[in-house]
Amino acid sequence: MIEFVQAVLLGLLIGGVYALMSSGLTLIFGVLGIVNVAQGAFLVLAAMLTWWLWHSTGIDPLLAALLLTPVMFGFGWLLYRTAIVRVRGMPASMSVLLTFGLALTIEGILNVTAGNRFRSATPSYFDESFRVGALNLPKPQVFGFLAATAVLAALYLILTRTWTGRAIRACAQNPSGAALVGVAATGTAALAFALGTATTGVGGSIMSVLYPFFPASHYDWISRLLGIIVLGGMGSMPGALVGSLVLGLAETLTATYGSLQWSTLVFYAVIVVVLLVRPQGLFGARLREDALP
Amino acid sequence: MTDPTPPAPAGRPALAPRWVPGRLRGPVGNRHALAGVVFVALALFPAIRPHDTYRQTVLLLAFLLAIEASSWNIISGYAGYISLGHGAFLGLGAYTAGIVATRLDVHPLLIAPLGGVVAVVAAVLLGLVVLRSRGHAFVIITIALLFATQVLVVNLRSLTGGSDGITLPLPSWPAEFQNIPFYYLFLGLLGLTVLLSGWIRRTRFGTGLLAIRDDEGKAAAIGVHTTRYKVLAYACSAFFIGVAGSVYAYFLTFLNPLGAFSILTSVTIVLAVLVGGRGSLYGPVLGAFVVQIGSEQATVYGGSSQSRVLIFGIALVAVVLFLPAGAVPTAAAWWHRRHPATVEYIDQAGALARGQLARPDRTTPTGTDPAVDPAVDPAVDPEAAPARAAGQPRLVVRDRAPQAEPQRRALLEISGLTKAFGGLVAVDGADLTVRRGTVTGLIGPNGSGKTTLFNLVGGALRADAGEIRFDGRRIDRLRPWQRGHLGIGRTFQLTRLFKSMTVLENVVAPLPDARWRALLSGAVSGPEAARARDLLDFVGLGRFAGQPAGSLSYGQQKLVELAQALMLDPRLVLLDEPAGGVNPSLVARLVEIVRDLNAQGVTFLVVEHNIPMVLELCDPVVVFARGRVIAEGRPELIRRDPAVLDAYLGEDWRPPAEPADPEPAEPKGVR
Amino acid sequence: MLTLTGVTAGYGAGGDVLRGVDLRCEPGTITCVVGPNGAGKSTVLRVVSGLLPTRAGTVLLAGAPIGSLRPEQVLRRGVTQVPQTQALFPQLSVRENVLMGGYLIRRDKALLRRRVAAVQELVPLVAERAGTPAGNLSGGQRRMVEIARCLMLEPRVLMLDEPSLGLDPRSLAAVAALIDRLHRNGTTVLLVEQNVRLGLGLATHGVVMEGGVVRLHGPAAEVAGDPEIANLYLGGATVGGSPVAAAADGTAVRGATVREGG
Repeated sequence: MIEFVQAVLLGLLIGGVYALMSSGLTLIFGVLGIVNVAQGAFLVLAAMLTWWLWHSTGIDPLLAALLLTPVMFGFGWLLYRTAIVRVRGMPASMSVLLTFGLALTIEGILNVTAGNRFRSATPSYFDESFRVGALNLPKPQVFGFLAATAVLAALYLILTRTWTGRAIRACAQNPSGAALVGVAATGTAALAFALGTATTGVGGSIMSVLYPFFPASHYDWISRLLGIIVLGGMGSMPGALVGSLVLGLAETLTATYGSLQWSTLVFYAVIVVVLLVRPQGLFGARLREDALP
Repeated sequence: MTDPTPPAPAGRPALAPRWVPGRLRGPVGNRHALAGVVFVALALFPAIRPHDTYRQTVLLLAFLLAIEASSWNIISGYAGYISLGHGAFLGLGAYTAGIVATRLDVHPLLIAPLGGVVAVVAAVLLGLVVLRSRGHAFVIITIALLFATQVLVVNLRSLTGGSDGITLPLPSWPAEFQNIPFYYLFLGLLGLTVLLSGWIRRTRFGTGLLAIRDDEGKAAAIGVHTTRYKVLAYACSAFFIGVAGSVYAYFLTFLNPLGAFSILTSVTIVLAVLVGGRGSLYGPVLGAFVVQIGSEQATVYGGSSQSRVLIFGIALVAVVLFLPAGAVPTAAAWWHRRHPATVEYIDQAGALARGQLARPDRTTPTGTDPAVDPAVDPAVDPEAAPARAAGQPRLVVRDRAPQAEPQRRALLEISGLTKAFGGLVAVDGADLTVRRGTVTGLIGPNGSGKTTLFNLVGGALRADAGEIRFDGRRIDRLRPWQRGHLGIGRTFQLTRLFKSMTVLENVVAPLPDARWRALLSGAVSGPEAARARDLLDFVGLGRFAGQPAGSLSYGQQKLVELAQALMLDPRLVLLDEPAGGVNPSLVARLVEIVRDLNAQGVTFLVVEHNIPMVLELCDPVVVFARGRVIAEGRPELIRRDPAVLDAYLGEDWRPPAEPADPEPAEPKGVR
Repeated sequence: MLTLTGVTAGYGAGGDVLRGVDLRCEPGTITCVVGPNGAGKSTVLRVVSGLLPTRAGTVLLAGAPIGSLRPEQVLRRGVTQVPQTQALFPQLSVRENVLMGGYLIRRDKALLRRRVAAVQELVPLVAERAGTPAGNLSGGQRRMVEIARCLMLEPRVLMLDEPSLGLDPRSLAAVAALIDRLHRNGTTVLLVEQNVRLGLGLATHGVVMEGGVVRLHGPAAEVAGDPEIANLYLGGATVGGSPVAAAADGTAVRGATVREGG
C-alpha cells in the first residue's frame, strides 16, 4: 500500500514537471497554431547550458534557471522574428517541418560542441530524499516540482494580470478582434513564442538534475510532450495539466509494478485508447469538418 | 455577409504560389520519356561497370531512399498529412525479414512481400486510430509510432533479440556478383513504387487525396470518405517501404533496433521529398538522389556522422524557408513563366456566346439512348422520357417527382433544430419542410442563421437539438460524405474549389456512393470523367475543363461548384447565395440551369439575398429571421407580408411596379 | 469630420468593390449607409479603418489624410469600429474585454481608470456583468460590450457594421438608445445597416450605396422617403421588372453595371 502511495506521489511530482514542460508547447500552439517540434530541443539546450553553468561555476542547477529563463526568452524571440514568422501564412505542415529542422540543427550543434555523451547535473542533494512518515520523496523531484509550480503560477499571473498576457490571450482567442483594439499581431506572436520558449529555461534546468540527457534526448522529450498535448487536447492548458499528470502516473506506476522499459509504451497505449474514444483529446474542442462559423 | 470578397482573378492565373506543391503541368510526354531513359541507363550501369561496387552501392542506397520518398509522397505530398516517423516501416519490414529468416529458415527475399504486409497492417491500425480526425494528431502519433516500435523491439528480446540485434544469413549468390542483385532489386522496387504513385495520381483516389489536402471539409461535403482515403493512402505509403525493408535487412546482414528505427531515416525521407518537390511524381525521386549522393559526399569530404544531423537540420530549415515548393515544382513554374500555356482567361461575353445551355427541344450530339442508360426509366416519369430522347446531355437524377401534385411529399424535414455558439443562438428551434420537386427559397436578413442552417443540413455542424430527416430518414448523426451519398449536394457562399486541380478534376472528384470501385476509376478518362465533362457542358463551361480551377472568374467558379454538386446525383441541392457577387448574365444562366434541373425532378433549397431572383425562381419562399422561420408561402404573398417586410426590408418599402393591390393577402405561414 | 473622395478599393487580385465612393460625415452626426448585399458598405468601413488599402481616392479625418495609415494608427487618431463578425474575446471576462479596448492607452493608468468609469456610465452592463466570460453573453449583450470596448479610446468617429445583426427587438432598442446617447455626447457615428427602416430611422443623414458607388445621400428623412431606394435596394438598378428577365431578353438595362463577375 505504501508502495502505491509512494508511486502515486512520485507520479504527481513528475507530472508537475511535465506540466511545466508542456505548458510552453501548449501556449505556442494555442496562440500561434504552431506545433513546435523543437520544444524538446529547447529543453535539452537549456539543460546543457545549465549543466555547463553548474559544472564550471558550481551554481545550483535550479538557481541557474533564473539566469537561463531570460536567455531562452531572448532566444525564442529572435528565433520567431527570423525564422518562424516566415511560415505563418503557409500550411501547418510547413511549420512542423521548420521546427523539426530547427530541432535537428540544435541537436547537431550540441553534438559538435559538447559531444554525444550522457550528462547529468549532480548537486549535493542529488540522491537525498525527504522522509515523510514511511514515504520517501527524492529531493530533486520535490524541488523540481516546487520550481515547476512556481513557474506555472508565474506564467498564469503573466497571462492573466499583465497587458502582454492579455494581449497574447486576445490574439489567441480572436486575432481580428485583437487587431481592432490595436494589438500588434506580429509583436504579440513573437512574445508568445518567446514566453513559451522561456519556460524551457526552467524545464531544462530541472531536466538536467532529474534525467541524464544527451543531445538526441530531445526526441524522447518531444514525443512525451506531444503525447501529453494530444491526450489533453491541443491548445488546452487544463488539458496539458491533466495529460501531464496522467503521464507522470503512468510512468511511475508502470516502473514500480512493471518494468521501466514499458512505461513509455503504456503512455502511448493510453493515448491510443483515448483517441479511439475521443479523437479530439480529453479537453480538446471537437474540430469541425467545415471551418465556417 | 454583405460584401463579396471573392478572389476573382481578372487576369493571369496565379501559378502555383511558392509553397504550394504544384502539379507539374508541363511537357507531360517529355518527362515520362526522360524518366524512362534514366531508368534504362541506370539498369544498364552494372552491366557497363560491373566492378564499380562503390558507385553501385551509393546508387542502390539512393534507390532505397527514392522508394521511401515516393511512398511518403503519397500520404504527405498528395494528401498533405505529414508523417515524421515513416522510417518505422523500413524497420518493420527489416525486422520481419530478420525474424522469419532466422526462425523459420526462409530465404529473406521470399519474405519481402510479407514485410510489406506487416507495414501495411501497422499503417492501417495506426491510421484507424488517428486519421478519423483532422489536425496535428497524425504527425505526433507517427513520431510516437517510431519510438514505440523501437522500444517494443528492444523489449521483446525473445522475439527480436533485443538490443543485441539479429544476424541474417549472408547473400546466397556467388561473391563476384557483390551487390548487383540488390541493385536490381531496389531499382525494380523503385520502378514499381513510382508506377503506383503515378497510377494513384491519375485515379479519382488521387484527386480525392489532393482535395483533402486543399480543403478537407469541402472534400467531405462532396462525398469523399476522408477517413477511408487517408487510411488507404497511409497504407499505400507503407507497402513498398516494408518490402524494401526486408531486402535491406538482407543487404545489411545485421539489424539492431537503434539503426533500424533511427529517426535519421525519417529525416532523410522528409528532406529528400522537400528538396525534390512534394506532390510531384518525380520530384521525390530526384530529391532522393540529391540527398543521398550529397550525404555521401559529405561523409567522404566532411565530418563524421555526428555532423550529419547538423547538416540535415540546416538543410531542412533552408529548404523550408527558401525553397518550400521544392526543386521540381519551382522549375516547372519557372518554365511556365517562360512558356505560357494556352490558358483561357475570363471572357464573359465569349463564354456566354458559345456555351449554350442544352434545352429539351434542341438536339445536341451528346444525346443519350435511354435504353443504354440504366438510370433513365421512362415508366416512372413520362415527362422526362421525351426530354431525354431529344438529346439532352445525359444527366442521371435519382428521383423524378410526379408533377402536378397539390401537396408534394416532404424531402427534407427539419424540426426543432437548435444550434448555439457560446451564448449566441444561431438557429433557434427551426422547423422547415422542403417538398419534393420544389425550388424552395430561403430568405432573411443577415445574421438570421441561414448559413448555419445549411451547415447543419450538410453535416458540417452538429446540432445541439432537433432532428433533420431526409426522405423520412434521420440524417443528423451522419457524416458529411454519408449525406452526400444519400443525395444531398451543396454549393458554398464563397466558392470552395480545389485550387491545385483543373476544372475537370474538380468536377470528377465527388463520389456519389461509397463503393470502392469508384476510387479506382480514372480522373480524366473513363465513364465518370465523361459524365463530368457532360456536366461541365451542361453548365456551359466545357471549354474550361483543362484550366486550373483558380483561373476562372468568380461566377464561373460558382457554376463549376454546381457541376461538382450535380456529380453526386443529388435529389436535393442546397444553393448558398448562388448569385452573390455574380454578373447578372451569369445569374440568368444559373436560373435557367436550376429550372432545367428542377424540371427533371431535382429539388432545390436556395438561400439568396437577390430578392428579384428569389421571387422569380422560387416557390415556396421561406423567411428566416433570428434563427427561426417566421413566414412561408408563395412569393407574391411573401413580398407583401408585413412581418417579412418588417424583419427584412423595412415596412415603408414596397417593391416597384406592383399591380394595384394595397391589401396584403393573408400569408400562410408560421410566426 | 470624415470625408471620402473618389475612393476605389478591392480585395486581393479581384476587381473593384468600391468604384469611386464620395461620402461626407459632418461632426456630431449619425450617418447611416444602406444598400443591398454586395454594394460595398462594409468595405467602406474597412477602408476607413485601414484594414484595406485604397487603390485611388482620399480619406480625410478632420482634414488630415488617413488613407495610407495602418489600423493601429487609425485607431490612435480616434476612429474605432464595431465589426459585423464576432470581435470579443470569448474566454476573457467582460471587464477584461473592455479593458483591452484601452490597449493603446494602457500605460496611462489614470486615464484608463477615467475611461473605464465613463464607459461604465454609458453602458451599465459592463459593471453589471464584469466577471462573466464574454462568450457566455447573449448576442445583444455582446453588441453592447463591443460598443463599450470601442468607447474606451473616446473616439471621434465610431463606426458600426450592421449593429442590428442577429439581435432581438429589445436588444435592438438598447443598442439604438446607446447610439443616440453617444450622438448627443458629440461622437460622430457612421453605421452600415441592411435594415433600412432602423438605420435611417436612427440616423441624421442617410447614404444609399449600390454597386460600389453612392447613389443617394441627404438628410435621413429625405433619403428615407425616396422611392428610388426600393429599386436599388431590391437588387440591381432596373427600370421595373427583374434584372434577370431583362438580361435574358438581351434588352438594355438602365444603369446596370455589368461587373466582371466579381
